[in-house]
Amino acid sequence: MILLGTLGRRLLAAVPILFVVSLLLFVALRVLPVDPAAMSMPPNATRDEIEAARRDMGLDRPLVEQYGVWFDHAVRGDFGRSIHLRRPAAGLVGETLPSTIELATAAMLVASVLGLAGGLLLFALRDRPAETIAETGTTLLMSVPEFLWALLFIFVFGVALQAMPFTGRLDPGLQRPMVTGFLLLDAVLTLRFDVLRSALVHLVLPAIALGLAFAPPIMRVLRASLLDTYHEDYIRQARLRGISETRILLRHALKNAILPTLTLMGVQFGFLFGGSLLVEVIYSYPGMGNLMVDAVRNADLPIIQLVGLTYCVVVLTINSLVDGLYLVLNPRLRAR
Amino acid sequence: MVAFTRRNLLQTATIGTLMGALPAHAADDGVTIGWPSDVTSWDPNQRFTPDAQSIFKAVFDQPLDQDAKLKLVPHLITKWDMAPDARSLALEFRDDVLFHDGSKMTAADFRYTFFERIKAGHKVDIAQSMRKVTDIEVLSPTKAVMHFDSPAPTVPVWLAFLGSFIVPKAYMEKVSPEAFALKPIGTGPYKLVEHQMNARIVLERNDAYWGPKPALKRVTIEIIKDPSARVAAVQSGQVDITTSVPVREVTRLKAQPGLVADLTPVTKVIILQVRNDEGFADSNIRLAAHHAIDKKALSQAFYAGAAVPVSVLGVPGSPGYLEDFTFGFDPELSKQLLAKSGFSLDKPAKIRMASTNGQFPSDYDIARAIVQMWKKVGIEAELEVIEYAKYFELNRGNKLPEATLYTFDNATGDPEIYTGYLMNPKLPFSPWKDMTLGQKVIDQFNVADEKARIAGWRALNKEATETGAAMPLLQSVMTVVRKKSLELTPYGNGWILPQTMRWG
Amino acid sequence: MPRWLRSARVIAGLLLAGLVLTCALAAPWLAPHDPDEQDLIAMLLPAVWQAGGDHAHLLGTDGLGRDVLSRLLYGARVAMTVALTAALGAAVMGATLAYIAGYLGGRVDWLIGRAIDIWMSFPPVVLSLILMTGLGTGTRNVILAIVLVDWTRFCRVLRAEVIVTARRDYVTAARLVGFSHLRTVIREIVPATIPLLVTLLTLEMGIAVVVEAILSFVGLGVKSSQIAWGQMIADGRDAVYQAPWNLLAPVLAIFVTVAGFNLLGDGLRRSLDVRMVEGRE
Repeated sequence: MILLGTLGRRLLAAVPILFVVSLLLFVALRVLPVDPAAMSMPPNATRDEIEAARRDMGLDRPLVEQYGVWFDHAVRGDFGRSIHLRRPAAGLVGETLPSTIELATAAMLVASVLGLAGGLLLFALRDRPAETIAETGTTLLMSVPEFLWALLFIFVFGVALQAMPFTGRLDPGLQRPMVTGFLLLDAVLTLRFDVLRSALVHLVLPAIALGLAFAPPIMRVLRASLLDTYHEDYIRQARLRGISETRILLRHALKNAILPTLTLMGVQFGFLFGGSLLVEVIYSYPGMGNLMVDAVRNADLPIIQLVGLTYCVVVLTINSLVDGLYLVLNPRLRAR
Repeated sequence: MVAFTRRNLLQTATIGTLMGALPAHAADDGVTIGWPSDVTSWDPNQRFTPDAQSIFKAVFDQPLDQDAKLKLVPHLITKWDMAPDARSLALEFRDDVLFHDGSKMTAADFRYTFFERIKAGHKVDIAQSMRKVTDIEVLSPTKAVMHFDSPAPTVPVWLAFLGSFIVPKAYMEKVSPEAFALKPIGTGPYKLVEHQMNARIVLERNDAYWGPKPALKRVTIEIIKDPSARVAAVQSGQVDITTSVPVREVTRLKAQPGLVADLTPVTKVIILQVRNDEGFADSNIRLAAHHAIDKKALSQAFYAGAAVPVSVLGVPGSPGYLEDFTFGFDPELSKQLLAKSGFSLDKPAKIRMASTNGQFPSDYDIARAIVQMWKKVGIEAELEVIEYAKYFELNRGNKLPEATLYTFDNATGDPEIYTGYLMNPKLPFSPWKDMTLGQKVIDQFNVADEKARIAGWRALNKEATETGAAMPLLQSVMTVVRKKSLELTPYGNGWILPQTMRWG
Repeated sequence: MPRWLRSARVIAGLLLAGLVLTCALAAPWLAPHDPDEQDLIAMLLPAVWQAGGDHAHLLGTDGLGRDVLSRLLYGARVAMTVALTAALGAAVMGATLAYIAGYLGGRVDWLIGRAIDIWMSFPPVVLSLILMTGLGTGTRNVILAIVLVDWTRFCRVLRAEVIVTARRDYVTAARLVGFSHLRTVIREIVPATIPLLVTLLTLEMGIAVVVEAILSFVGLGVKSSQIAWGQMIADGRDAVYQAPWNLLAPVLAIFVTVAGFNLLGDGLRRSLDVRMVEGRE
């Protein structure tokens, strides 16, 4: 109960942030040197028709009033229509968000596995000659951002070896089952294992490219926290009691060292979500990132506004969840 | 712990190899097409999108059609008769055409599409092409007469062009245009069964089609926006056919076993659109700029020599084209012209230029090459990259720079849709706003006699180039890469129609 | 020799960053060709060690027949300009706000804290894209966008440090002696946070290089007439079959530059004994 309460409070605290973000986004996008009214009309529209459209869209009214109208519609779930695609923005984001969540989750899984394994490896190598090499390795690993991994993977696995597909989400010829909008989930629900297999194969390169870029910080923090934990008394006591090193590590040290690592992973997940944008563009992955880049190129304001807001919501939700998880795992904090 | 990590890595590696197998080939009754752009709306009247024309033609039917040589041929309309004054057009329709929901297509649907929708204020681009229509009189389910407020000799051409697809009156009125755009119904050889935005479109054969039955049952269109990804997809067999790949890839893909790669000239022209004022107010500078462009070198470098240099707005073989008129590449003449206006290599004329990047093959490269060619004669151009959507906005606001690299697609080949649109100061396609030439262009729209009409456009074409109002560069080429065993009918305007495809 | 100069990482980082900086400064002398000179007959030559390579173009030519090596060297100019100025700008903005917030506390601190919250709820890539849409392309705007996005990286970490420092005895003493607020901050607090600031600054330079490359890659970075690695990557992607070095060379250049800054930052962090939260982007 306390946990749910805390989680609820965190989410509530996010509401004013969201409000301010939406306001800032709105103002920032309205001062752009583009004319949404002109862009929403066919190329042959006359000046009068554009003026009429401008009035229809409320663009002739003061900015505050415009925001009021937008906000009023937004709370009722109406986020306007895409200027370029002429469809409701909410529908477009709703269609693409699940794909992005799936990519980000898969990438986070990769980052976590690599990060934790790497962190343990780094820790195991402590005070050995190989440590310097391994640490320099992580520094170099940190110097390759996700979009370079994405390009290199396409070059190596797609172009040179021709071993992996690197566009879209499914092999051609497969029909996408539609239940929840999450492709992997839908494939399982409808028992379409051919679809599941194809979707997983398509996910491999983008997920690894994205995950790999976010793994090194996890490695480092886990290592650092493990080192800290090993200075604590109870570890020494456990040793004196003759408990094996592996057992100490897994049963005692890891349990405590995982907390800071988890916090960092939460932060990383938020960043990773943003990083998915470029990976999506490079792999023609039909997610929110691609929608966003298209919208930016076409100055499709309602889409930019809603996608920007959605990224915020996701990041804030992740942060709240991580905070909640932190409380579950750390009873000492819960007491307060 | 080390062992743990290693095992993990090994597992990942194994999964990687297991899943590395290439996808299976499509079945014989289906085809997968790698397409460069998505269909933004399934309301086919809504937007003029040349890129979606081939897909629309699979799901919907046009009143008139063009054959592979671009000749206007009967389709849903079996007979059409233009009055001598070009103020009315009598039409006869087929009586065996069904929409995908089984309802019959009649002249009432034609009236709805080309008249009632526009009057009802639906936001459709055909409001522009049909703007002279005052009414469509329905005489019987298979007969109608279109009436115009002024001579409209090119309406039949438009009935086979952008945006002209018949939609079902009853269905659309029942479900609203918005709902129609999500779940469209046409009379075409294929039905839409799935559309995943920015990812894929799946079509299935319409077995009740009135015309020749398509050979392939299922058509999957994969939306792959990135040109290099399209190349990779066709090379690895993920798609059976694709288009708009970089020209230099064509040469390479030709050598691949099992693939055919073609470069074919189409009805699209690559041009520089110019302003009549600012840095281009002086005709010496405009003509110098035109003479400084080595079109042949551009074609060699970016289109493997397949794009034909053109000197007027139009493509070789189209009625408005002048075979015997050329505007030569002559950098020395450029320098002389510039010197007349007081410019030189040390004191270059300064202009701005805009180009899209990726809108058509090598667009940005061509623009950068032109900037370099100009630099050599004493014109300094500042190049700006603009988005395609932004182009229209800038053009409408008369804010395009002195020169803009652009392609104009005209699947009909009619000179009115080349010169009449590109040089008409009243239409949003032209940054040239000078009325001396402009008025002549506008008047030319109302010439009813076909012979006089074509002759008039030819004269205007020549004048536009000679005064530096138009800088036509190249006839565009289309690239198509396909599996050798996949056959299709090539169209002179670049259509890639699934209904003409079959496995050989 | 100061301790930080004895770290192998610091030396390696300085060497790499110095190498790139030298390339940037000496590009006009080092480059074998004019980087903008096109040769429409010698387009997409492969690198010299590949079949069909030409000794005149060590790394081959691009899709307009321009020399890849020369462009790579000139590309270092934009990268280094952005790295140095944007990182410095973000540091100045972030640090100033951090000193104000940490030292004054109270409502000002609360306000700046909320601003950070709002900024942090945006993935940086998304925020910089939105900013660039509004600002338009150009080196100055890229720098401005990076400063406006990344000041929080400095502010967040430094603020915590300033709060700790401000409570120390000698700071209280300085106030008691009658030093003004400004003087206390400049004389007592700033010096204590310099190691952290320098470390962050170095790491930020690497980030700035990446962000500039990303923005130029999607076409929202520097002006198209400027030579930037991100643009080379975007151009080179189309030619990856014929001339892979068009793509690989700028990828490597970015890696070397970022690795240089990261090694330097890492080495400084260790030898200056700076504790800080890890994190990317």
